[in-house]
Amino acid sequence: MKDACVVAGGQSKWGYRDATLIELFQEAGKACFEDNPHIKPADIDGILVASACSERLSRQTHLAPMVAEYLGIKTSSVCARVELLCGSGSSAIILAAGMIKSGLSNTIMVIGGEKLFTPQRWETFYSQLGSVDHDWDGAQGLGLPPSLLSIVFQRHAALYGTTEEQLAAISVKNRRNGLNNPKGQFRKEITLQDAMTAKPVAAPLKLYDCCPITDGAAAVILTSGEAAKDFTDKPLVKIIGTAQATESNSISNRGNWTTWNALKTAASRAYSKAGITADDVDVAQTHDCFTISEVIEYEDLGFCEKGEGGIFAEKGLSDFGGKVAVNTDGGLLSCGHPFGGTGIRQAIEIAKQLKGDANHQVEGAKYGLTHNFSGAIVAHTILIYGRD
Amino acid sequence: MENQFNNLYSVILDTYPMEGKQLTKIWKFFEYLKEGRLTTTKCIKCGKVSYPPRILCPECLSEELEWIDLPTKGTVEYFTELKAGVPVGFEKPLIHAYIKLSDSFDILSKIVGIKSIDDIHRGDKVKLKVFDVPPIPAEIGRDKISIDRVYFAFELDN
Ligand SMILES: [Zn+2]
Repeated sequence: MKDACVVAGGQSKWGYRDATLIELFQEAGKACFEDNPHIKPADIDGILVASACSERLSRQTHLAPMVAEYLGIKTSSVCARVELLCGSGSSAIILAAGMIKSGLSNTIMVIGGEKLFTPQRWETFYSQLGSVDHDWDGAQGLGLPPSLLSIVFQRHAALYGTTEEQLAAISVKNRRNGLNNPKGQFRKEITLQDAMTAKPVAAPLKLYDCCPITDGAAAVILTSGEAAKDFTDKPLVKIIGTAQATESNSISNRGNWTTWNALKTAASRAYSKAGITADDVDVAQTHDCFTISEVIEYEDLGFCEKGEGGIFAEKGLSDFGGKVAVNTDGGLLSCGHPFGGTGIRQAIEIAKQLKGDANHQVEGAKYGLTHNFSGAIVAHTILIYGRD
Repeated sequence: MENQFNNLYSVILDTYPMEGKQLTKIWKFFEYLKEGRLTTTKCIKCGKVSYPPRILCPECLSEELEWIDLPTKGTVEYFTELKAGVPVGFEKPLIHAYIKLSDSFDILSKIVGIKSIDDIHRGDKVKLKVFDVPPIPAEIGRDKISIDRVYFAFELDN
């Protein structure tokens, strides 16, 4: 089987944007081609477009041929949209890697993003009622996840003593990491006190515990190991392990609230495919849509013992110079979270880290991991990247 | 509901399920709900209880299912209030509670009938509350009909 390598990556500016979805895709595609001038649109034979809300918020379906047209790409191997809400971008990368490894495609652009700020702000929140089981959880007003994650935190605190201060340590770290990221939504440092005294969103979760609403897009180009050598002289960044696990969908069936079993399943399979363990991961971009998510992700990805995620953050073990640097580009908390773009943004940062090109470099990083969860914390998507 | 969209560009998402026997095979759930009963389906072949209700047992794929009653009273274990981004059609305060209805069944539900988050506590007893929601103007063949709908939440059981 061939290798699948990341040979280019770029993104639009993320945040509250004066641009439509298709314009955000054009910005991301252009930034991606500019990242590697050896690759031209004519070199691309497949496109996978990750977007979760294009019908609801941009009235557009049949997105992949449209994005291809706007970027001057004519496909011959694959041209489709991929949707798994917050895991859409990572899902598309997994599928692209499979196409390349099997030889069905040569070179694929994976591009994802969302236009979430609508003229009427309420429309965004309201549209998310369709992102959980619409008839049973959406109808209870549970479309946006803060309430769900608030209850996750309350249960984690009751079981393991995790504190609001420990959550605040994560928002401070990720905001600090985001200072170096010119494309991110927030580039402002916050203090522990800012985090602790912020207004509640779903108490005890407060403003800085939650990622924002974001417009933005991101793109990467994947190709085979042989072709990659024609496009770059840098160390090749390869996808060496992937996994996607689910245990249910509706909230009533979501299983253990504080140990995310589908995440453990996905992690175990991805590590096994990559031939590494959690201890080998040098840098990780995990799904910090909420600070409590990052706590449980440290635990269930195996970076620390169960119940010790809060202490792990507090001791700086997920920071630069710690055990594993997590969310080195600022994560969702700083960069924002245009659902389909997030997994691709994570891939761009991991590729930079493994090539030694990151804005804030983890010295000698050899193995990188990305993680997303989606829906009511019911689907978990992991990719592991390695380099030559 | 209609007034909320006057003079706005055309955007609508139906917040509630397709109810009525013209639109769904699990219409009995909503008929029972109108009687104040919270129900779901149980597989006659293998005994698996599923929630939300089904037309197919996810355990053995049998279509032989029966309706059973779920408890309509329970205890609040955890709760929170969504302060930012309350969806259109939902009243403030939008409070959700994780409710233990029985040893084997819990539900994350909206809590209605209280004015403030201060009015709810861990351990509070709650009971099912059924309410009307906007009907569906449906075109069934050549007929234009209105399908009445209900939905449910929980309220304090004082
Ligand atoms: Zn069965």
